[in-house]
Amino acid sequence: MSEQQGDERQLYCRVITPEGVVFDEEADMVIARIADGDIGVLAQHAPTISTVEIGEVRVRQGEETVIFATSDGFFKTSENLVQILVERAVRPEDIDIEEAEHQIEEAERELAELDRGRPDWERIEKEIERRRGVEENMVLVARRHGEQG
Amino acid sequence: MASVRDIKRQISSVRNIAKMTDALQTVSGVKFRRAESRVRKSRPYAENFEEMMRAVARAGSNNPLLAGRDEVRNVAVATLTSDRGLCGGFNAQVLRRTMRFRREQNVPVKQVASGRKGIAFFRFRRMEMEESFSGFSDGPDFDDAQRIGRTLTGLFEYGEVDEVYLIYNRFQSALVQRPVVMRLLPAAAPEEREEEEDEENGPKAPFEFVPDADEILSALIPRYVETQIFQALLEGAAGEHGARMTAMKNATDNANEMASNLTLQMNKARQAQITREISEIAAGAEALAG
Repeated sequence: MSEQQGDERQLYCRVITPEGVVFDEEADMVIARIADGDIGVLAQHAPTISTVEIGEVRVRQGEETVIFATSDGFFKTSENLVQILVERAVRPEDIDIEEAEHQIEEAERELAELDRGRPDWERIEKEIERRRGVEENMVLVARRHGEQG
Repeated sequence: MASVRDIKRQISSVRNIAKMTDALQTVSGVKFRRAESRVRKSRPYAENFEEMMRAVARAGSNNPLLAGRDEVRNVAVATLTSDRGLCGGFNAQVLRRTMRFRREQNVPVKQVASGRKGIAFFRFRRMEMEESFSGFSDGPDFDDAQRIGRTLTGLFEYGEVDEVYLIYNRFQSALVQRPVVMRLLPAAAPEEREEEEDEENGPKAPFEFVPDADEILSALIPRYVETQIFQALLEGAAGEHGARMTAMKNATDNANEMASNLTLQMNKARQAQITREISEIAAGAEALAG
């Protein structure tokens, strides 16, 4: 992490999932949807911790913008390092729409079959809906950025 | 002494065993390397997660998931084992540790099991399981960790237990896996390391929490539990393949040694047979001559 100390004005962005670090590069600006709405982080942003909503994380690098479709997760920025901790972060061109749609169907089926008699059913329902939300977002992001990919 | 033909048959069956264990060793080796790389890749997530927990916990909170409850009346323990055997003492040691842990508690213990070996073990002893999971020990996904995590966090949140522990094989190398007990909830543990770190780096600017620390914590802690379980599952998978690789290497070596011993025995038996035949012929010739 020595690169952080290099330039006080250079922002870094790291996107980390349980399966590994998917992004770890310099950035000009990082845009993410945190608990109270979209946030655009530039260098020397105030240290902040928040949650990340299911949606898109955009990393501006000069003219380019790197996009990730993410699950919900957590957001932290301090000392010019933005960290996005999410279970899933996939670039639009890597999204498998068919697989996502299959997962959505699976979630729908689970919701339909959910036993609403068991004590923790509301928790399970919320969890399945969250999973469906993540997959729906994958499809959405893939379609939105499909032509660029 | 066994006949030459018997020994020959034994040798060929031992050689077949060696072939099988050797193949299994190769397969486990490939799986082991894959599992080991997954352990390595998942570490940044787990480490950064802990760091974030510490930062948020520093803001102070009386969330029971973090601070715990005054009285501990029940505890839950989740034991992670493998689905398949042929991996030496891998499962035995973690199950032994679980039994010891249970004996050490002064309050009732609810058992959660992951992996068919663990489930079979508890079933055999007619021990009640709160919940059991299987089918993923050699290649766990985050989803699997989530299912276990949700169950455990649920037990805590519904007040059925006041502490949650995880027992698994910590991965050190292909040869060494050490069973460890880890407290998952209340999740105050990572804070202990905070002090040293602060001394090293000096005071940091305080974080701004959006919307507030409590709200973030209540989202963070269940995910933290899942992350810890995922890490443990991955380490378990690497350990399982490593242990199997080692066990199969030993089995192959043993089989090869046995085959060479048997070959020696067979040669001796053949030698003895020839000697016997010659002496019979000689005796017969002598009898005729006489």
